[in-house]
Amino acid sequence: MSSASPGSTTGTPRRPEAARSRPTDLATDGLPTLALRGVTKTYPNGKAALREVNLTVPEGDFVFLVGPSGAGKSTLIRLVIREELATKGKVILEGRDLARLKRREIPRIRRRIGIVFQDFKLLPNKSVRDNVAFALEVTGTPRSRIGPAVDRVLRVVGLSAQADQRPGELSGGEQQRTAIARALVHDPRLFIADEPTGNLDPQISWEIIQLLLRINEMGVTVLMATHNAEVVTALRKRVIGLEDGRVVRDEMGAAYHRED
Amino acid sequence: MIAFVAFSLRRAWQGFWRNGLMSLAATASMVLMLVMLSGLVILLSGLDATLKYVESEVEVVAYLKDSATPQDVSLLQADLKAMPQVASVTYVSKEQALADFQTRQPDVANLVNALPNNPLPASFQIGLRDAGGYIDVATFLRSQSPVDTVQDIKKTVSQMISVISVLRTGGIAVLAIVGLTVLFIIVNTIRLAVVARAEEIEIMRLVGASDAFIRWPFIFEGALVGLLGAAITIGLLILVQARLAGLLSDFFEVLPVQASAMVGQNVALIVLGTGVGIGVLGSYLSVRSYLRR
Ligand SMILES: Nc1ncnc2c1ncn2[C@@H]1O[C@H](COP(=O)(O)OP(=O)(O)OP(=O)(O)O)[C@@H](O)[C@H]1O
Ligand SMILES: [Mg+2]
Repeated sequence: MSSASPGSTTGTPRRPEAARSRPTDLATDGLPTLALRGVTKTYPNGKAALREVNLTVPEGDFVFLVGPSGAGKSTLIRLVIREELATKGKVILEGRDLARLKRREIPRIRRRIGIVFQDFKLLPNKSVRDNVAFALEVTGTPRSRIGPAVDRVLRVVGLSAQADQRPGELSGGEQQRTAIARALVHDPRLFIADEPTGNLDPQISWEIIQLLLRINEMGVTVLMATHNAEVVTALRKRVIGLEDGRVVRDEMGAAYHRED
Repeated sequence: MIAFVAFSLRRAWQGFWRNGLMSLAATASMVLMLVMLSGLVILLSGLDATLKYVESEVEVVAYLKDSATPQDVSLLQADLKAMPQVASVTYVSKEQALADFQTRQPDVANLVNALPNNPLPASFQIGLRDAGGYIDVATFLRSQSPVDTVQDIKKTVSQMISVISVLRTGGIAVLAIVGLTVLFIIVNTIRLAVVARAEEIEIMRLVGASDAFIRWPFIFEGALVGLLGAAITIGLLILVQARLAGLLSDFFEVLPVQASAMVGQNVALIVLGTGVGIGVLGSYLSVRSYLRR
């Protein structure tokens, strides 16, 4: 994205949300952000966590990944961030086959992805500002550019006032917003959230979801794994359902549960 | 590049102080090892000096018959000088032997003066290049007609040499075992320090830090542990130096060993090099398992 200032939108045309056909059939401009082609993931212990998964996520999409516990949602996410390699098939991110990346290209690809988890993964002895700055420091960003970039994302997530507090002095929602700010600071093209509201009460969960919607409006593709039925059903976005490692549904404008 | 080094050093410094307890444990085991190491190095260099000294002092003394003519003597001297095992040949005449004796034993000098003729034989004192040449030279001398007797110092000297050699080999073996054991302890302590920061490493990987940015701060931190351990060890050694020097000179009293300044400098360098080396190695090994994947 060219700018992460609040409210900015991209020129990516939005598909009509009412269409309930397979999204892979819809033409998209340019390369999809993410594509999985016949992906199977078997862990070394023999557990098949994903089986023959096919899906395409066009740029600017907002996708809910749902399914019972153990369905393979986190595994799919680990494949996308190249934390794990597919046993079979291809994971293609912005046109690059992740299995063919050289070791030293992996960090660069990861900077194109922002990711947050249920447990936030913040460093407890650093302030909000330093936690966010950390992502830039460890990727070799010149110090003069770090301050302004951090201030900008803290404004986006609405934490400018808490910048000098440590995670222990923040509410759960504020901690998650800190994690989101950190994930945004590299201007990612794809934003991944693995159960970002799992530890938060409904009110705070909605605030986080609003934030993800705004990030999506800025043109960032969002992929969110969740068990939060209320949120998924209310938003009527694209829903990909996993069960026992297989894609069992992929619908536009869908609810958390199948509505046949 | 400079920014990268500055970043790594800053992170190493922060890491060291933030994980105070782990750093303390790593530094303490580092000091323990370095103290043992320097003790052994000092002992070994003492033994080494002793061995060198003893070897250099090994000489063959051949007493000559009174009947030996000056020609016999100079021929034999030339032959000896030609032998590869021989470092030096000194001829001590009967008169010289008597004079030496009188200066060494002034109380019996008058007694000797009372004798009708000089009872002391002339001799060759033959310095050897190394103690191993003793047998060849002695055998050669025994076959020469002007030679009366060859002084038999072989037994004591060779025993002494073999005892010192055993001590030296043993010392090196002990050094190796102690070194490996403590290396293991230190690597594990540093590994614990790294494990304590597994979450930090995980975050670094997730936000797209390259391997170098993850690895080097830890390597510098290991080097810092080594540097600090070495500094403390050298400080301790300087504190006990006076006592140690007294002990050593008692121990090696017989020897004109003036090596202590040299040894001190060597030990300091060894301590520094080993400390930093092991710190770096420990960190490298510990971080490696997180970066592979
Ligand atoms: N590292 C691993 N080694 C072996 N098996 C694993 C590993 N990680 C996950 N699994 C297994 O793979 C399956 C899918 O796990 P995954 O974490 O992807 O599920 P999930 O959909 O994220 O579940 P949840 O909703 O509870 O987070 C599970 O059966 C799990 O036990
Ligand atoms: Mg999961």
